[in-house]
Amino acid sequence: MVATATNLQQLVQKGWVWQGQQTPLQKTSTDFLDSGWPELNAQLGGGWLRGSVNEIQIEVGFRGELGLVLPLLQRSNERPHVWVNPPAQPYAPGLQSQGLVPQQQWCIQEADHTKALWAIEQCIQSQSVGLILAWLPQLNAAQVRRLQQVTEQAQQLVFIFTDCQQEPEARAYVNRLRLHWQDELQIEVLKRRFGWPLPPFPCALQRLLPERRLVKKSAHNNTSHAVTGTTRLTL
Amino acid sequence: MSARVNGWLYVHAPYLLLDEQLAAQAENEREQPQVLLQQQGSTGPRVVQLNAAAQTAGIQRGMAMVTATTLVPDLICRDYQHNREQWLLQQLAQLLYQDVAQIALQPPQGLLFEVRSLLRLYGGWQALQKQLQQRLQEAPIRYYWASGYSPLAARLLAQAEVSVLSADPQVTTAALAQLPIQASGLETRAQQRLLDVGMTTLGSLLQRSNSALGARFGKDITHYLAELRGDFSPPQRYYRPPAQFYQRIDLLSEVESWPQLVFALKRLLQQLEVFLQGRQLSTRNLRLQAYHRDQAPTVVVIQFAHAVWQQRDMLQLCQLHLERQVLPFPALELSIRVRELENRQAHANSLLPVQQELPAVAALVSRLQARLGEHAIQVPQVQADWRPEHAHCLATWSRSQAAAPALNPSQRRPVWLLPQAQPIDRRQWQLHWGPERLQSGWWDDQPCVRDYFIAVDEFQRQGWIYHDPQGWFLHGWFS
Repeated sequence: MVATATNLQQLVQKGWVWQGQQTPLQKTSTDFLDSGWPELNAQLGGGWLRGSVNEIQIEVGFRGELGLVLPLLQRSNERPHVWVNPPAQPYAPGLQSQGLVPQQQWCIQEADHTKALWAIEQCIQSQSVGLILAWLPQLNAAQVRRLQQVTEQAQQLVFIFTDCQQEPEARAYVNRLRLHWQDELQIEVLKRRFGWPLPPFPCALQRLLPERRLVKKSAHNNTSHAVTGTTRLTL
Repeated sequence: MSARVNGWLYVHAPYLLLDEQLAAQAENEREQPQVLLQQQGSTGPRVVQLNAAAQTAGIQRGMAMVTATTLVPDLICRDYQHNREQWLLQQLAQLLYQDVAQIALQPPQGLLFEVRSLLRLYGGWQALQKQLQQRLQEAPIRYYWASGYSPLAARLLAQAEVSVLSADPQVTTAALAQLPIQASGLETRAQQRLLDVGMTTLGSLLQRSNSALGARFGKDITHYLAELRGDFSPPQRYYRPPAQFYQRIDLLSEVESWPQLVFALKRLLQQLEVFLQGRQLSTRNLRLQAYHRDQAPTVVVIQFAHAVWQQRDMLQLCQLHLERQVLPFPALELSIRVRELENRQAHANSLLPVQQELPAVAALVSRLQARLGEHAIQVPQVQADWRPEHAHCLATWSRSQAAAPALNPSQRRPVWLLPQAQPIDRRQWQLHWGPERLQSGWWDDQPCVRDYFIAVDEFQRQGWIYHDPQGWFLHGWFS
């Protein structure tokens, strides 16, 4: 019996056993950072795991991926957050209106893939920055493994935004999420540390963004024509 | 006579320049016979400095180049450079300044130390000698040193390559008495006159009374003896450390690339560390210069985001920085100059409300800037301007950042801005909010009148678009 229990413990530690509870056995709630999205927290065992590299696969850019990490960015303005190869300029007035301190958002544009990864690793290791957000083409297995190793040691949090992959190969990311859109932002969990993959579920991202007018799909074209240049729409 | 105290120390380094060059060489190269030559009158170049290998091969100082090269056909010959040696002498003074405050340069190869007060501090000659010996190990030189009750006595002994360190003036006098008149430092004519009367050593001179010698040989000799005995001391000009650091190193052979310069760089940075450590200073930038045969020197300025003083840190950052650099021509010499020095505690008691800067953050910035470029880290900043693309700029990270102007919270602004507004097809977009008219800039060349909307595209993305006389444009994204 004892031997079996030890074996089970080993399996749990490897993350091979699905546990029917909110917080996995060997982790306490302090190991997780509240993502700001209760529905996501529930699926990830309490939030983003400290010391994790997370992959966010995006179908099209600028459709909620930054909103997903905004609560984290908003929470800490003491340390700089690093944005590696952002797809556009982080806009200071916009950042301010989201409650961020523009000066604490460091942008690093580095076309050389190796150097970009080096920079990310330096930021992780220095343990003096907050989040690390990186927009990169797909990383190979060795690169991810290395990043995850360093991140875990330094207990940092890293997000890699990348294109969708039809049949993703195995990578050492702690979480792999894919963003879809069906009336609102949907998160599909391709991989998580504590549990099986999950089909897309909605995320109430809209509370951080300008309100949308509800438009009936059939009326799509007509409505857009109805707005003229000087008509003020309140909403 | 009874009040005499050995309060002076003289260090004589007869091979200063060559020893410095040897230190930069590899082991096997150092073993080769090498000499430095200097043109002397019309007799052709003569050997002024030589290494141990040349000595064993039978070469002597003052030997003509022709004789030397006949003795050792594969002798390595280089020209003696006076200015360079003067630099080295200053560097040596710099090194020893850590232990002795009163140092007088005695060009070309000597340093005079006033140690009377130091003896009290160290508790005697033995302790002082040990301390200086330890310090001199950092300098790769052969040297002779002697103590004396006058600067001249110490100098003559050291220059005669007699190393006598003693607290006892009697020992010094005895050693002086052994010196031949040729080592007296007197003019050749005066020496000749003394030799003519059979005075072949300094001892014979010291035995005679001042007045008798004065009557026979004139006032010069009595002055000389007064100076030697310490009855009269000419004023000394003591060395003062420079307010900046400059160090130049001779590479001795052409070096093709920056990575190959690391060895030399290490040594320079080690000296820089000693310099900074001795003054409790640190620096944020240094200027490397590589000197080429014919071309103008290549200059590389290296900035650090945080103050550094340790060789290890500086070397690491320099190496990262130099990875990006190309050495256009082979280098012959390398130098480091540091002009801006700062106190290590300067920031702790600064009155300015500097944004709290963690040392680790600054160190990270230094590393990133060193490898990726000085403008590697861009930081968005709010600007006081109504025009959207001027209301913000991406600026290079700097230590002290201006506080952001207050923002009107009712304004809806996207988190992303496109560097260049993109023309769009209006029919692909649904307008959800707007317009907000932004109009200004009449005072400069780019007046603009734009109506901004928040709109949604076919992929359900929220964009910030505007309409102006040129048409419809996409300017930013909200997530």
